[in-house]
Amino acid sequence: MMMKGGNKVLARSLMTQTLEAVKRKQFEKFHAAASEEQANIERNPYTIFHQALKNCEPVIGLAPILKGGRFYQVPVPLSDRRRRFLAMKWMITECREKKHRRMLMPEKLSKELLEAFHNQGPVVKRKHDLHKMAEANRALAHYRWW
Amino acid sequence: MLKGVASLVSRVRKLDPGHLRLGTQAPQSLAAQLDNQVSFESPRAISCTNENDPAKHEEKHEGLHYNLPLQDVKTVFPHGLPPRYAMQMKTFNEACLMVRKPALELLHYLKNTNFAHPAIRYVLYGEKGTGKTLSLCHIIHFCAKQDWLILHIPDAHLWVKNCRDLLQSTYNKQRFDQPLEASVWLKNFKTTNERFLSQIKIQEKYVWNKRESIEKGSSLGEVVEQGITRVRNATDAVGIVLKELKRQSSLGIFRLLVAVDGVNALWGRTTLKREDKSPIAPEELALIHNLRKMVRNDWNGGAIVLTLSQTGSLFKPRNACLPQELLGKEGFDALDPFIPIQVANYSPKEFESCIQYYMENSWLQHEKAHTEEGKKELLFLSNGNPGQLERLCAYL
Repeated sequence: MMMKGGNKVLARSLMTQTLEAVKRKQFEKFHAAASEEQANIERNPYTIFHQALKNCEPVIGLAPILKGGRFYQVPVPLSDRRRRFLAMKWMITECREKKHRRMLMPEKLSKELLEAFHNQGPVVKRKHDLHKMAEANRALAHYRWW
Repeated sequence: MLKGVASLVSRVRKLDPGHLRLGTQAPQSLAAQLDNQVSFESPRAISCTNENDPAKHEEKHEGLHYNLPLQDVKTVFPHGLPPRYAMQMKTFNEACLMVRKPALELLHYLKNTNFAHPAIRYVLYGEKGTGKTLSLCHIIHFCAKQDWLILHIPDAHLWVKNCRDLLQSTYNKQRFDQPLEASVWLKNFKTTNERFLSQIKIQEKYVWNKRESIEKGSSLGEVVEQGITRVRNATDAVGIVLKELKRQSSLGIFRLLVAVDGVNALWGRTTLKREDKSPIAPEELALIHNLRKMVRNDWNGGAIVLTLSQTGSLFKPRNACLPQELLGKEGFDALDPFIPIQVANYSPKEFESCIQYYMENSWLQHEKAHTEEGKKELLFLSNGNPGQLERLCAYL
């Protein structure tokens, strides 16, 4: 999803720069913190990346179902891979659209990943909004036939 | 046993985290003690050494990192170190340089220079990313400690490209001035060499314009101040500084080190154009003209250390790294009797030492990086090239 026009070299370099940015930010925090908190600060960029994406995965999704001429948004369980796909997609679109014009992708992505790791930030908020919509439309769950 | 030593060292570092700078002394002294014990066991050695004075670096320190005090870094390198190295310094909160063979060779030559003979030119050359600029920084630190006057141009390529304003020179109608770059350089020159500026007196009268002039016998500090405040005359101020330093270094009051990085910029082409879009040759830039005079060896009382660089160079192919290719015929003839020093990739011992240094700072976070196969992979991927290794380890 990071790749555009098949430019894998660029996508790969953006990802490595993001991981480096995450690592450097965590090192700054580590050196600035007192000794008790140092054990809690995670410095491995890979664990931060995986944990952040896991925190962004929605549990339940909405599907538009046609009944009686109207489309209803029905809460529906999502498969594992659909959840992972949605987490990654939300993360990338968030970084592409909602940033300052001159901010580079690795910078913005590293910021979003760190916020998602701590369960804050806009991507996790989007997941919660989806959950709330699903909760609100609970009554329509009977429209699902699979 | 070695694993125990490594974990002991890392545990000691974790114990005093608040005093990270002092904390480096504890594992280093531990390391120095254990060094004697473990050195015969296997080629893996602990990577830092206690010897922080470049004058005392010997063959036995080869491959070990030494610590540069951050205060020194601010005075000796105000122009800035290479950007990736500066980022690493910021992240680790310390500046550590590795002692390598080319730098040791140069230090040996510098220690045995005869100051009555004309200044010898040393040219550091090598493939991209092998450590030429950092070797130059090592030499500059040594000379600063020995109290030489340092004339450091961090990257000559910055003077021949991307210049915003070019003024026609007041001194010579054919040449062009670069006020911004000249004033920035003068500011940094002042930070490095504060104490010499009041001691050196100029020996000629210079007239800036109808109303201002500098009398004979006033100090060099005033010329530098004039250049910094009056940006239009900054390039001429630089020219005066260079001329006076060259003339007076033979007298023996001070020793002069001319250190230029990317010296192939002086003889290549520029990307700057006049208003009628015709290209400018390097000779027509006043800064470059004065620098070329500086690099000629018709003065004595110091040394000239130069570095070739393909990275910032203009109109040169990517794989050009030898002096003849990068300097061109004109440059090579101008620099002709010089001592070439090749800077190569890491030897296995240096590679091991570098990895150890990263592990001590816990820079390699990936689990597989700590294993033997991980190290072999890193060696293969980077081919021992220090620049590539640094970029690889950045995201691991």
